[in-house]
Parts: sequence; C-alpha cells; structure tokens
Amino acid sequence: MKFVRRLGISALAFGLIAPFAGAPFRTQRRGLDLDSIARAIDEGTDHVSARQLAEWIRDRRPGLRVIDVRSPAEFRNDAVPTAENVPIDQLAKSQFAPGQTIVLYSQEGAHAGQAWVMLRSLGVTQAVFVPGGLADWREEVLYPLLPANASPAERAQIEALSHYFGGSPRIGAEQGSDVASAAQIGRGSRRRGC
Amino acid sequence: MNDLLIAGGIGVAFGCALECAGLGDPPKLAGQFYLRDFTVLKVMLSAMLTTMLGAFWGGRLGMFDPGAFYVPDTYLLPQLLGGLVFGLGFVLSGLCPGTSCVALASGRIEGATTMLGLFAGVLLVGLTFPAIEPFYRSTPYGSLTLQRLAGLSYGDMVALVTVVAVSVLAWIAKREARP
Amino acid sequence: MRPLRSYAEPHLTGVCLGMVLLACFALTGQGLGASGAFASVASGVMVTVSPETAMHSAYFRSYLQDGSPWIAWIVVEIIGVLVGAATSAALAGRTRLPFVRATRPSAGKLFTGVAGGTLMGIGAALARGCTSGLALSGGAMLSVGAWIFMAALFLAGFLAAPLMRRLWP
Repeated sequence: MKFVRRLGISALAFGLIAPFAGAPFRTQRRGLDLDSIARAIDEGTDHVSARQLAEWIRDRRPGLRVIDVRSPAEFRNDAVPTAENVPIDQLAKSQFAPGQTIVLYSQEGAHAGQAWVMLRSLGVTQAVFVPGGLADWREEVLYPLLPANASPAERAQIEALSHYFGGSPRIGAEQGSDVASAAQIGRGSRRRGC
Repeated sequence: MNDLLIAGGIGVAFGCALECAGLGDPPKLAGQFYLRDFTVLKVMLSAMLTTMLGAFWGGRLGMFDPGAFYVPDTYLLPQLLGGLVFGLGFVLSGLCPGTSCVALASGRIEGATTMLGLFAGVLLVGLTFPAIEPFYRSTPYGSLTLQRLAGLSYGDMVALVTVVAVSVLAWIAKREARP
Repeated sequence: MRPLRSYAEPHLTGVCLGMVLLACFALTGQGLGASGAFASVASGVMVTVSPETAMHSAYFRSYLQDGSPWIAWIVVEIIGVLVGAATSAALAGRTRLPFVRATRPSAGKLFTGVAGGTLMGIGAALARGCTSGLALSGGAMLSVGAWIFMAALFLAGFLAAPLMRRLWP
C-alpha cells in the first residue's frame, strides 16, 4: 500500500505542475509563421493540381486525406471520390496526424486556399490545396480536353485517369456527356467505432 | 497488417490486465455499486490518470503529439441516455463489453450470456436505426474537450482532473482502512 | 484444484492498463474499445444473412465501409483480449470449468445477464462506445461526451443497485 500511496502523490504532483508546463507540443500554438508560409507559396509546395490528386487517389497513396471544405449540402451534391466533408468552420477543431497528406479543395479553390493558411497557422504543415477546386477536377480529370499535340502515351494516360473516375475525355470541341455525379463518397480516414 | 498486429498485441495486454485485476468476475464488478468492492473505480481511475498524464507530459517532452490523439465526439443526449441505459445493464449483468470477454476467457458462462445480450442490443439498435437515427444524430458538439468547454488550458484541466481523481482514490483508501 | 493466485493490486494494474492505452494512442492515434467489436461482428452477420436490411440501416453500413467487418481493428483487438485473459486466468489457476454445477450460476441469473447485456448493447450503440472505448479512452482525452457517459453510467448503476440486491447477495 505504501507504493500505491507514493504513486498517488506523484500523480498529484505531475497533475499540479501541468498548468505551468506551457503548451504541449506545437498544436496549441496559434500564430502565423509568415516566412515559412511565404516560402511555401513561392516554391509552389502549398498546392497540387487536380490531376496530381487524382493520381494519388488512384495509387492509394498512404495517409492521404481529401478534405472538402464546402457546406454539407454542396458536398452531398457532388464531391471528389474518397473525400471527407469538413466545412471550414469545423476545420480548426479537426485532428491531423503528422504522417498524413491532407489535400483541401473547395468549389473554385479560393476557400481551400484560405483553409490552407488557417491550418498553417495552427501548425499543420502537411496540407496542400487544389487551386482550381472541384471545377478543375471536372475540367482536368473527369472531362479533360485531350490536347491535339500530345503524344499517344500522354493521351492514353489522361484517358485512363479519366475513365478510372467515371468520366470521359473530350476530344477537340466535343463536350462529354452530361453526367452522373461523382462516385461513392467514401471515407478517407480509418475511424473505427469504439 | 502492422495495424492488426498492434491491435492484437494491445488486446492481449488489455485482457491480461483486466483478468489480473479480477475484472472477469461479475460479483466483484457488481460489488462496486454496493460500495463493497472498489476494484472497478481503482482500476479505471488509475488507468485514466496514467494515460492522461502520460499523454500530456509525453506531448510536452516532444515524444508524440496528443493533439493528434482521437477525442471521441460528443453527442449530448444520446450519450447521456446511453450511459444511463448502460449503467442499468452493468448492474444487472455485473459485466461490461470488455470484461464479458474476460469472463468468457476464464471459463465463466456469464461471459457468454452477457456477450449474447450485447449482440442482441446492438442488433436491435441497428435494425431500428432508420427510426432512431434523428435521435442518434442529435445534439452533436464535435470533438469537444472539457478544457474547451470550461475555457481553460489543457494543463489546467489536467490538474483539475488529477486532483478530483486522486481525491476519489484517497477517499476510497480511507474508507477501506476503516475497521 | 490448483490454488488460486490472488488478484493483482488494482491501482498498479490500472497504471499498467493506462500505459497500454497510452501506447495504443501513441502507435495508432486512437484508443482501444470493445463495444465496437460487437457492432462490427453484428454488421458482418447482418450483411451475410440479409444484405438489404444491412444496407438499409446506416448503422450497419458504417461498420461495413472500411473492409471486412470480421477483421476490423477492434475485432482483432477483442480477440487479443480473449487470448490475454485466457492465458492470464490459466496461469493463475483461475480458469473455471463452465459446466461444473457448483460454480454455475442459476438460470435466472443467466437470464438477467442476457438482459443486462442487451441494455448495454443499446447504451453503447447510442453513446458510440462503452467503458473501455468511451469512458476510459475518451475520458483520458478529456472528451466531454465520455465524461457525460461515465457520470450517467455510474449514476444509473448506483440508483438501480438497491433494487437488485437479490441478484448480488
């Protein structure tokens, strides 16, 4: 029982010092590290193209999380496959583990860019956004315009990617059929029930 | 695969610890509610304190980031009602989902019967889900923590919870020392 | 009959348990659980027996979305619990022989066990967790819902206990 007593006292000690320990790790820090943000923007490491995202999804890149920052209504209407809906006002409350690659997107990209800065200020450095948003997804991935001067290999690649997501490439001025919304809206994270 | 190996390993350690403490024995667990046997509270509070303090200080020392640890979402009404119903079931059976497995593993048939009931309960909810879904999804508050609710810092809340938990354990120790 | 090794000191066991839970968080970012395993297996059974019913319920669907419900993380964890507990009991000489009349509880007792289990199944499903997943893991992470669940659990237990004295002489 003596040992248990000592355990209790040390627990109490550790607990009482906690308020004076400062913020654990870096998650609570709020502030803009302007230098690193500016650098990321300059170097272009703050964003990825819709096509790059498509390739990551297709290749099942480990730790990939696709986050749709629009409202639930817009999300239900149409979204990128495997995306999770985290409206921008809930983004600050979300948890992001260090090993993940977080890709943010919105309708046209503006909100996603703002969300990127927000997350950066919270210390989340593993996020990127899609500058053209869902619009780019449709233009570049689902219904890409096959450029006339591209090599056959390139065109095959673009076509394959498009078909993988249920779209169809446009050739020249032809528009693809007007279609079926994006595939299943699955879940990117492995959230188990408890 | 790695994931599942970890799951198995954690499970084995969990089961071992529960059994060692005697939490596979229904009269022992039920005894908590008659203030006869305080094993349940002792184990739960000690475990919770250890993990909470470990997470905080581990984070402070840079070993990991507790901010990335999963905080279960808060659904006020369903969890309140769920807790009440669960508590009732707990006193009736003298076991909980985890300890029912421990009971079964140590050859107690009560473990099996409780597990049967658990399946029935879960199936019931699943089958009636379309009807109860509105209630199930009501009053969501996201991953709300005690400190955010109280407007305190993580460290403040850790201190508060530590004081409360250690006080309860001390009260129990005192009560048990009485002849 | 082998002599029973007495139970381990509860505070120390609790600390060990707490360290296992911390390791779980550090390794996987999430806590452990138990009731989810029952829900996962139930969903698996449901989808085998009647896929339309399973798909009609968003509850079952949620357990069928991430691969096979039979080898979900939490199910494998519960299998581990069974193994760990069985080993510990066997080593300590605490394994009961389930069909020995003397140590078997009465039929009435077994029935209340099933009833209790059903209530716990409902409660855990509504609350999205049980004592291990929600109260313990969530409580350590200071989740408000976890603490509400825990408070309600103990409140109901303490209030109902006097009415059930006959069950626990």
